[in-house]
This record gives sequence, C-alpha cells and structure tokens, in this order.
Amino acid sequence: MSIITNSTAAFFRRSTGAMADLRAQAETLQARIGSGERLERSSDDPLAASRLRSLSRADALGEADGEALSRASSDLALAGEALAEMADTLIRARELAQYAANGALGDDQRALIAAEIEQLADGLFASANAFGLSGQALFAGEGEGPAYLRDASGVVTYTGAAEAGTLILSDGTSIGTGQTGPEVLPTGTAADPFVILADLANALRGGAGDPATAARDALGGLETSLESVTRAQTTGGARLAWIEVLDQRLTRQSLARSEESADVGGADLASTIAELQQTLTALEASQASFSRMSQLSLFDAI
Amino acid sequence: MPGSLINIGKAGALAARGALDVTAQNIANANTDGYSRRSATMEEVGSTARLGWDSTTALSGVRVSRIARSDSVFLHSEARRTGSDLARADAEVAALRSAEGAIEQSGLYPEIVEFEASLARLSADPLNASLRTAAMVAMDRMAQGLNLAASEVQAAGAVLVTRADSGVAQVNTLAQELARTNAALVRVETGSSNQAVLLDQRDSLLAQIADQAGISVQYGDKGQATVRLGDASGPALVSGSQTQTLAVSQLADGTLQYALDGNPLALASGALAGLAQGSQAIAGYRGQLDSIAASVIAQINDAQATGVTPTGSAGQPVLDGTGAADIVQLTGDGAALATAPASVPAGSRDGSNLQALRDILASDGPAGKADTLLFALSSTLNARDVTRDALGAIAETAHSALIAETGVDLDTEATNLLRYQQAFQASGRVIQIAADIFDTLLGIR
Repeated sequence: MSIITNSTAAFFRRSTGAMADLRAQAETLQARIGSGERLERSSDDPLAASRLRSLSRADALGEADGEALSRASSDLALAGEALAEMADTLIRARELAQYAANGALGDDQRALIAAEIEQLADGLFASANAFGLSGQALFAGEGEGPAYLRDASGVVTYTGAAEAGTLILSDGTSIGTGQTGPEVLPTGTAADPFVILADLANALRGGAGDPATAARDALGGLETSLESVTRAQTTGGARLAWIEVLDQRLTRQSLARSEESADVGGADLASTIAELQQTLTALEASQASFSRMSQLSLFDAI
Repeated sequence: MPGSLINIGKAGALAARGALDVTAQNIANANTDGYSRRSATMEEVGSTARLGWDSTTALSGVRVSRIARSDSVFLHSEARRTGSDLARADAEVAALRSAEGAIEQSGLYPEIVEFEASLARLSADPLNASLRTAAMVAMDRMAQGLNLAASEVQAAGAVLVTRADSGVAQVNTLAQELARTNAALVRVETGSSNQAVLLDQRDSLLAQIADQAGISVQYGDKGQATVRLGDASGPALVSGSQTQTLAVSQLADGTLQYALDGNPLALASGALAGLAQGSQAIAGYRGQLDSIAASVIAQINDAQATGVTPTGSAGQPVLDGTGAADIVQLTGDGAALATAPASVPAGSRDGSNLQALRDILASDGPAGKADTLLFALSSTLNARDVTRDALGAIAETAHSALIAETGVDLDTEATNLLRYQQAFQASGRVIQIAADIFDTLLGIR
C-alpha cells in the first residue's frame, strides 16, 4: 500500500512560487500601462523591435528630407521673385524701346530714355545676381560666387557653374533646385539683354546709327529675353508645386509610420487593464486560499 | 515470566521514547533544506532461551534497530540534473541580457540614424557651414556611441569572469567538504543517526556542486560518492577522500576555458557552462561591433578620398581606428568634409560625392548592420528565455518530487506523535501490571 505524503516544505514552496509568478505578471502589466509601451527591451518581441527601429530611422530621414525641401522651396520662392522683377524690368525696357522707335523724339527726351534704360540694365544685373537664404547666388548653379560679373568696360559675363544643383531625397526622389543664368537670360548669344540694352542706351545718346532703327532692332532681342524669363518662371512654379506634393507625401508617410508604431509597439490600454484586473483577482484568490490552507494543522487538535 | 514482563515493558517504553525523539527531530527539521525524513525501525528482540528455564519462550521486547532515512537515488540525481540545466540556462540568459542592455542603451542605433539624417540635411546645401559642423558632430557622436557599446559589452564580459572565478572557488571548496564527508562515512556505524546526518550532508553538497557544474555520481558501499564532471566517463572531481582542482582561464578573445588539474575540459551543464557559453556569445557580439566600426571607417574614409573639400584640396580621412573600442574622429571641422567630386572646381555646390556616401550608408551601412546585430541578439535571448522558463518548470517538478518523497509532512508527524505516545502509555501500563503481579506474589502469606 502506498501512502501519499505531502511534504510541508513542498507545499509552502509551491504556494510562494505561484504567488510570486502572479505578482511578477501584475508588475509587468503595470509597467506597460505606465509607459504606454508594450516592449521594455528588444527581446520581449524581437520582430516588433526591429520594425520599430526601421520606423524610427525612416522618421528621422523623413524629417531631414522635410527640412531640405523647405530650404529648397524658400530658395525657389526667392528665385521666383527675382524672375518677376526681371520680367517687369524687361517689359518696361520694351515699352521704352517702342516709344523710342517712334522717330519724332527730341535729343533730350532720348537722353532721358537712355538714362532710364541704363538704370533698367543695372536693375536687371542686380536681379540676375539675387542671393538665396544661405548667401549663395540663386542663378549660379553649383558654383560659388556671383552669377554674373561686370568688368570695367561694362561687359557682363556669366561666372557660375554649367549645371544647376539637384536635391536627392532619402527615398531617391530627385528635384532640381535652381536654374543657371543661361537658362534664364540668353546671355552670350545674339539676344544678350545686357548687350542690347547697353547698345540701345548708347544709340539713344547719339552713338552710332539711327536711334529709332536701333530701338526697333532691340525690340526683337528683348522679346526673346522676355520669353526666356517667362519660361524660367513657369519651370520655377512647376517645381514649387512639385515640392508641395512631395511635402504632402512626406506628411502622409509620417502619419502612416506613427500609426504603425502605435500598433506595433504601443500598449493597448483597454486590454492591458483588463489583463491586469484578471491577474490581480487570481493573485488575491491564491493568497486567500494559501492562508486558509496554512491554518490547517493537526497540532491544533492534539 | 514476571521478570521478563517488566523487561518487556521497559523495552517497549524505551523504544517508544526513541521513536518519539525521532518524530520530534523530524518536526524540528521540517523546514531544513536537504533534510531527509527519518523514521525509527523497530525490531523484535529475540534472546536465547535459558537452559533449564522455559526454553521455548524467547520474548525480550523490542528495540530500535536503526534510524532509517528516506532516500531515493533516482530522484536525487534527477533533481541534480534538472538543477544543472536550469543553472546553465540562467547564467546564459543573464549574460545575453547584459549584452543586449549594453548595446541598446548605448544608443548606438539612434546615433547612426542621426548621422544619416544630418547627411540628408546637408545635401540640400552642401556648402552651408553650420550644416557641415552638425554633420561632423553627428559623426563624432556615432563614433562615441560605438565606443560606449564596446566598453559596456566588455564590462559585461568582465562580470562573467568574476562570476566564473567565484563559482570555481566554490566548487573546489565543496569538493574538499565532500572528500571529508566521504572519509567520515567510511568510519561511521551503519543505521546510526550519525550516518543519516552525513548522508544528508553528502546529498546537499552534491546538489550544490551540480548547480555549478553538471556531475555524475557513483556510490560506494557505505554511501561514499565518487563525483565525475559531465557524464559517467568524465574526469573525477572527488574520488574517496581525494580531490582534483578545477580552474578557469580566459582565452585571447575573452571566452572562458575550464581545466581540471591542468587538463582542459568542456562543461555541458551547470552555471559554469552557462557562463562559458555566455562569454562565447559576448565575444561574438564584440566582433560584430568591431566589424561595424571598421566598415564605417572604411566607407567614410573612401568617400573622403574620392572627393574634394570646398577649398579644392583632396579629402583626407576623418575617422581612425581598428574597431569599435578605438574608433575616433580625427577632426571636428566641418570644412574637412569632401562633398564635391574631384572633377569640379573649388567652391562648387555639387554634392554628388556626398550623395554617393549617403547611398552606400543606406544600402550597406552601419544602420542595417546594427539592426541585424540587435535583431539576432534579441531573438537568441528570447529563445533562450523560453527555454529557461521550460527548464525552470521541469526543475521545479523534479525538486517537488524529491521533497515530496523525502521531506517532512507535519500531518504524518503529528499522527506519529499520538501513536508513539499511546505506545509509551501502553508500555507504562505493562510495567505497572508487572509491578502489581509482583506485589500480589509478595502479598501471599
């Protein structure tokens, strides 16, 4: 016949082990509620932790991209303003040229027109050398230094780089960030506006040739310049719109990432609290039953 | 025979007293670790019949023949084996956990990501001085993050060495104690309570040794234990009253190596085995951190070599070092970054060299490698944790079975108290009856 024995030490050991387990579970759930995170360390859920790491990296890169885009769009906005100034200047110059093409003007009137045309040429030069936020020339492409230089004899040459810069975002999207001088104004060609304006002012002051003919000839070149500036304005506007689209895309992606982050790594408050309640009930029950059972002792009856 | 009656009564009373003593001993030691339940074995005493007297009767009462000790060789060895496995898993999990904490809390991954983000910001305006300085600062923080991770992992390894040293010292001390117990067991009388105490001590020493290193035990005829490390064919740690010394040493890459009397051996279970496995894992993670650092140094310095700085001079290396512990930034000057390719004039805002560096870092860079390292570490730790919990449950079951078999049950002892008290009272009555009979005989006139 075998007798079942219950070692007293084993009973206490089992009971305390069970209660310690329940208490540890309750404390883990409490920590989750307090921090809002489901994972205390990577080994709690390695796959989720790796996903959270990638999301945090994408977040950091997305933020850097957003800053880069806002820098690029400020520069494009400033360039757009400069282009608008250039267009205004060229329109006024064209008006003056049309007025001067009328042969019935006096010498002093032509002198006044010549003075204004020279001022317009200066204004055009200043607009073409407009600077961006960090002090770089807007129309010099990737080069350092000003886009245009005027030498002692008044000849204006383009001194920037041959190509404009591109901004490449972290996901590989690329966007042009500027336009070089030659893309905006046809300098160096037959329709170079600085040359045309300088020659026109010269002719109006009584230099070589017939002033009215010179004015009529200048009109064609000024039209070409105006077209070029308008084209550049269109390109700039399109790029600004594209940057806005990219910005919205970045915002959407950032929202999607934070939702996924909360799903993967966040502690769902409702279910965690319910689990905690359940664990606490089990703990209270086991504590009560342990104290009842440990009071049963045969030595009370002896 | 009345004379015999009183002797029989006396024998019964003494035996009941002895049994009560054993019961009281059990009750007093109910919570003692390693105490095995004792019981008094009664044996009928038969004496030789006296010549010329009632030669057929040989009643002489009862005596306590031996103090029996409840024992189960199988349950003890099971408890030792499962305890060894649990100790090994515990030690390994602790080592991996400290390595994980070292790498995660050094902030290595966020620093690497911040460096990549600073390069992304710089690419919008490569000549901007403050963005360049910010990028160099981020590079420095990444280097320091690698330094910190390496030193923390190194510290975790050093803790393992300390634990191994103290574990080995404990094994040697316990082995000496066991040798002395073996010597005493040879001399003690079988069935005495001294033998029970020595056997309890032997079992407790064996359990403590098994926690540190897995052992296999063979018993001699008087209960002496021959302890072999590992399985039955392993080298002997304790043999009779002879012991051999266990020692630990550290190899060049930081892993722990054990040796018994100078001969290297590999332990398969026990806390010492777990520490050795943990040290191996930590050496592996240190190697991976070193390779991450080396590849970052190579990638950044190569990118510097193919580009030019804003002044037009060729890019110089900006990082130096061979591994994660000694990676250092040579200069914090933002002007040292070679963002432009070698083919453009000085002062160009062309950032294609920077873009090439960003592409390499994104495809084969430290962020991906650090993520892989952390993922592998945390998956291993997760799996070992699960194994450890399972082994813990198994060890608990084995231990409970052992205690249930050999431990003291207070209910049983209480009933034994009543039983032997009744036996004592009954024997006392027998003595009284014998005295009354004698008085009756004396009273006959």
